[in-house]
Amino acid sequence: MREVVVKVEDLKFRYREGKKRALDGVSFEVFKGEFFCIIGANGSGKSTLCNALVGLVPYYFTGNKKGSVVIDGVDTDNSSIAELSQKIGLVFQNPFNQLSYTASNVAEELAYGLGNHGVPRDEMIKRVEYVAKLMRIDHILHKNPLELSGGQVQRVAFGSTFILEPNILVLDECTTQLDPLGSEEIFDIVKELNKTGITVIMVDHDMERVARCADRIMVLDKGKTVCIDTPDAIFSNPDIVNYNIEAPDYVSICKALKERGYYSGDYKITEEPTVEVVKEALVK
Amino acid sequence: MRIELISLGHVYPTGDEALKGVDLVIEGTEPVAIIGQNGAGKTTLVKHFNGILRPTSGQVLINGEDINNRSTAQWSRDVGYVFQNPDDQIFLETIRKEFEFGPKQIGMPEEKIKEQMDFVSELCLLKDKLDLHPFDLTLTEKKFCTIGSIIMMDPKVIIFDEPTCGQDVEGNKRLKNIVKTLQDMGKLCITISHDMKFVVENFRHVIVMCKGKVLLDGDSKEVFSQVDKLKQSFVSPPPITRVAQKAGFKETVFNIDEFMREFDNRKEK
Ligand SMILES: Nc1ncnc2c1ncn2[C@@H]1O[C@H](COP(=O)(O)OP(=O)(O)OP(=O)(O)O)[C@@H](O)[C@H]1O
Ligand SMILES: Nc1ncnc2c1ncn2[C@@H]1O[C@H](COP(=O)(O)OP(=O)(O)OP(=O)(O)O)[C@@H](O)[C@H]1O
Ligand SMILES: [Mg+2]
Ligand SMILES: [Mg+2]
Repeated sequence: MREVVVKVEDLKFRYREGKKRALDGVSFEVFKGEFFCIIGANGSGKSTLCNALVGLVPYYFTGNKKGSVVIDGVDTDNSSIAELSQKIGLVFQNPFNQLSYTASNVAEELAYGLGNHGVPRDEMIKRVEYVAKLMRIDHILHKNPLELSGGQVQRVAFGSTFILEPNILVLDECTTQLDPLGSEEIFDIVKELNKTGITVIMVDHDMERVARCADRIMVLDKGKTVCIDTPDAIFSNPDIVNYNIEAPDYVSICKALKERGYYSGDYKITEEPTVEVVKEALVK
Repeated sequence: MRIELISLGHVYPTGDEALKGVDLVIEGTEPVAIIGQNGAGKTTLVKHFNGILRPTSGQVLINGEDINNRSTAQWSRDVGYVFQNPDDQIFLETIRKEFEFGPKQIGMPEEKIKEQMDFVSELCLLKDKLDLHPFDLTLTEKKFCTIGSIIMMDPKVIIFDEPTCGQDVEGNKRLKNIVKTLQDMGKLCITISHDMKFVVENFRHVIVMCKGKVLLDGDSKEVFSQVDKLKQSFVSPPPITRVAQKAGFKETVFNIDEFMREFDNRKEK
């Protein structure tokens, strides 16, 4: 049996100011070392769910919570944001909300969380250098975090979670401000990390990326779990359009070729296999 | 409207040289997309179009008039900028108040404000959310709130900085409709984006920036055919275009219809 590191059971949550529930029955398990993706329309509750995984719901965002969230054997109701941050780290959807607003430069910003984790100073310096290089922000370490470009802020936000080396990494649309190749680069890093046993839970609207990364995908709709399945199964299901989701463009290419009788296999959901299908169809 | 940049340079007070001599003309009503790597200077560039930032060298001309002739408040009637981070722009307690704020500042008549309110809340699909607090919205809804409050002022040029951040299928359609509607109204819409699917679907004029300069400026098909140049600025074409390029198609294609047309052409040969 694979080890379960995240277990969410019939989770419901209504923000204090909210009229209706943002989460209205979410249940799933994530296994150790898994790459688990969450997709769904705007407002379906993805960010709220991420907040619940790291304890921001209910400790920071108050409201009415029912059901349970268990991280690495500990119910978040019996824990605290600080304690949870030792196990699970979140990269926020809006990187500007992740800044401490007290650090005077990027290096300090990156090191901000390390102090609370009791990391010694020389280890801190090593980690800052390492993460800065990885995120390609080593040239701006001296700069004020409030005087950066949008993508630079997102790289810093990513780095400041990453540096804590959480065993479970939650990514809430964390590359929306990044240039296309930079964003691919960061996902290659995340995939490498994932291979070393780090569990990744990712929210994203880029279905090409989701298809490339995910072991399993959960579809959320109006705060409810609709289904959990493999990328192949999810993206070959025509019903996903009902949840405001579009399959990767590779599926439409395969479909179009199939309709004309140039192809008869399964729909491909990633780039390289699709290129092969097209090349074969051309010589057929 | 015509925006002309003559060897525009910008050095921030920190000493960071964000723009290194940009020569550029944007005119007419054809929507324009600006793309390129993080830190390339896109946001810095467009903040010069209504004087939020002032050139530290070179010149910005709006319809021939030097940007330094007027204050940002005055230019904002003509050129509206929607911030990259919505929280930089939102500060009132309801969307309705956000929408009314700008027009009241510029002395727009009550009648016109009402008309604009109907039009904009319909366009941004926020009609039944007008009395909500912006902080109770999701990030993507906030983005539409900031877009709406700029359109409310009825400027001739509208600049969106990264409007696509995490929109779903419906959100992208809504944005598409906004860009199209603005064009039909004779406005000039300039959009910064990292979402290449969105760019090729909505913009024929594409400008690529790299390290404080303009790297490419032209028709989207031409721009996205120059894969190696795009790489310099950390851009890659959208998925369908890439598959076609890797399968050896000569023409640059952006959607499935174009893809199949080109496929058939090659098949015949
Ligand atoms: N702080 C808050 N107070 C009250 N309601 C909120 C708050 N944050 C979010 N909501 C509401 O909760 C619901 C779920 O929002 P959430 O941000 O979780 O959605 P999402 O799936 O992440 O959307 P998006 O794709 O736009 O990021 C929405 O109806 C939203 O308006
Ligand atoms: N207020 C500021 N003070 C000092 N330097 C700044 C300031 N704002 C931006 N910069 C620097 O200027 C350069 C250009 O930034 P700009 O925000 O124009 O980039 P961008 O192309 O919009 O990038 P992104 O895609 O990441 O938003 C960057 O190196 C950035 O660090
Ligand atoms: Mg969200
Ligand atoms: Mg920017």
